[in-house]
Amino acid sequence: MEWKKNIMLHKIITFLGVLTVGLLVTATPGFTADELQLLLSTDTINITTFYNGTTLEATGTVPVDSDVVIEVSGPKTDVHLKEKGKVLGLLWMNKNDVSLANAPADYMIYYPENVSQELIGSKTGIGYGVVEKEIVIEPAGADRAFIFGEYVKLMEKSGVYAMNKGGVSYGAEADGVKSFSATLKIPVKMKPGSYHVKVLSVRQGAVTAELNREFTLQLQGFPAMIAKLAFGNSLLFGIMSVVIAIGTGLIIGVLFKGGGGAH
Amino acid sequence: MFHMYLPIAGNGVNVLLILGLGGFVGLLSGIFGVGGGFLMTPLLMMFGIPPTVAAASDSNQIVGASTSGTLAHMRLGNVDIPMGITLLVGGVAGGTLGVQVIKLLKAMGNADFLIAITYVIMLGGVGGYMFWESLQGLKKEKIQVMQPMAEPVKAVAPGKSLIQRLPFQYKFEKSGCEISILLPLLVGVLVGVLAAIMGVGGGFIMVPVMVYMLRMPMHVVVGTSLFQILFTCINVTVMQAWTNHTVDFVLAVLLLAGSTIGAQIGTAVSKRLKADQLKIMLASLVLLVCFKMMAGLLMTPTILVALKGGH
Repeated sequence: MEWKKNIMLHKIITFLGVLTVGLLVTATPGFTADELQLLLSTDTINITTFYNGTTLEATGTVPVDSDVVIEVSGPKTDVHLKEKGKVLGLLWMNKNDVSLANAPADYMIYYPENVSQELIGSKTGIGYGVVEKEIVIEPAGADRAFIFGEYVKLMEKSGVYAMNKGGVSYGAEADGVKSFSATLKIPVKMKPGSYHVKVLSVRQGAVTAELNREFTLQLQGFPAMIAKLAFGNSLLFGIMSVVIAIGTGLIIGVLFKGGGGAH
Repeated sequence: MFHMYLPIAGNGVNVLLILGLGGFVGLLSGIFGVGGGFLMTPLLMMFGIPPTVAAASDSNQIVGASTSGTLAHMRLGNVDIPMGITLLVGGVAGGTLGVQVIKLLKAMGNADFLIAITYVIMLGGVGGYMFWESLQGLKKEKIQVMQPMAEPVKAVAPGKSLIQRLPFQYKFEKSGCEISILLPLLVGVLVGVLAAIMGVGGGFIMVPVMVYMLRMPMHVVVGTSLFQILFTCINVTVMQAWTNHTVDFVLAVLLLAGSTIGAQIGTAVSKRLKADQLKIMLASLVLLVCFKMMAGLLMTPTILVALKGGH
């Protein structure tokens, strides 16, 4: 009886061992989560009087056999556009109203130079194509692809949408991981608010790990004071603007009177 | 370097560039008595300022430039205050009417098209006529210099015209004319309607109207126009800041710094130029803007959508 018990115990232990190994093999994406790391140079950017946009350094590590894709996206917003069209077959005018709901105010992708387009698309869940699917375009009958394409052109022109190929560069390899770095552009047109940074580790077109970080853009000092007054005490702000304008005009007028000669 | 953040516009600008733009428009304001809204707003938009913020902040800077310009012209005796007030009353009424017209047009659709067409027709018509008329004036002057002994043309005394028979006749001393108050009032209404539709102060319409319809001397026209624009823009600035939060104080101050100095230089320049030279320069400028707008209407845009807002 004893030997039967031992055999049974041995079988159970073997089964549990096989199960554990099996689970580890299927659950582990080839490396531990610690192997994808991300560090942002700051999580708060202050918009002060002489602010003209800035950059944010993103650094970290990724397994040597994987690539890194970084997505920076702004708050979701509703955008109201005018579609241009010809009137009388001759004149280009703003014609139809088009609305885009759930569109990110800013959207930038950073990826390495020598990689295939597999990094961007539905497999990785990032890229313009993915953004388009999340956007609701009104009227429903509008040509989605055309409207979204033109919208992206408009946003790229103002610097808040971008696909930065070569935006990620790799450094030294050690212990099965390599370092990466990217300089994230923060254009001056990025509005105060909370922004999301997503980093993906991609191997053979499949996402193997993901990290998410946030950073905030906030008004500070003089710009903050002006914005508070303009939105909080708008009538007073309007009167103050007029009084200062008249005052400046009068001062300049008096100054010029002294040296103005004939007139 | 030299960059400044504009919290209402939500954009950064080069301080030197904005000072330069302000100076250029202020110069025109001083020379021609034109507020410059029709030039400044599109220029600011070109440098990334949202249309609504550009228009409202421009109104704010025009207040400063017009104060400086009006003061300079007052010293020269170039401001006809009763005429300015009459035009202003008409302008405010017309502006209110114009806003309703815009509302109606928007409800009907294609308001933007009508606005652009109004721009091109008005600018083309006014600019073209002024250019032709000034050219004739310069030619005549040349002939008179060459034939100093020529017989002066006798003025033909006309019968009492319809205009002279209108009630409420008033002698506008500085403008040198005796006309019914109703006439400048109606002119003010007309200009107010057009200014509201076109989204500008209306100086570039008001100046030719005063010259050609009211027959006022050019230098009085410039001073009186600035006077009228000053009050129109005070109203617009307060209303825009209060209701739409579109007045960017920092942008306005930067523009002001350039434009008030520009306006003073412009006033000095205007005294050195002959009336016909002034008119032909303004006409060229108006025609230039007209051609630019026409090109914008005819050429295929690179991006076929635009952010909604402003004209």
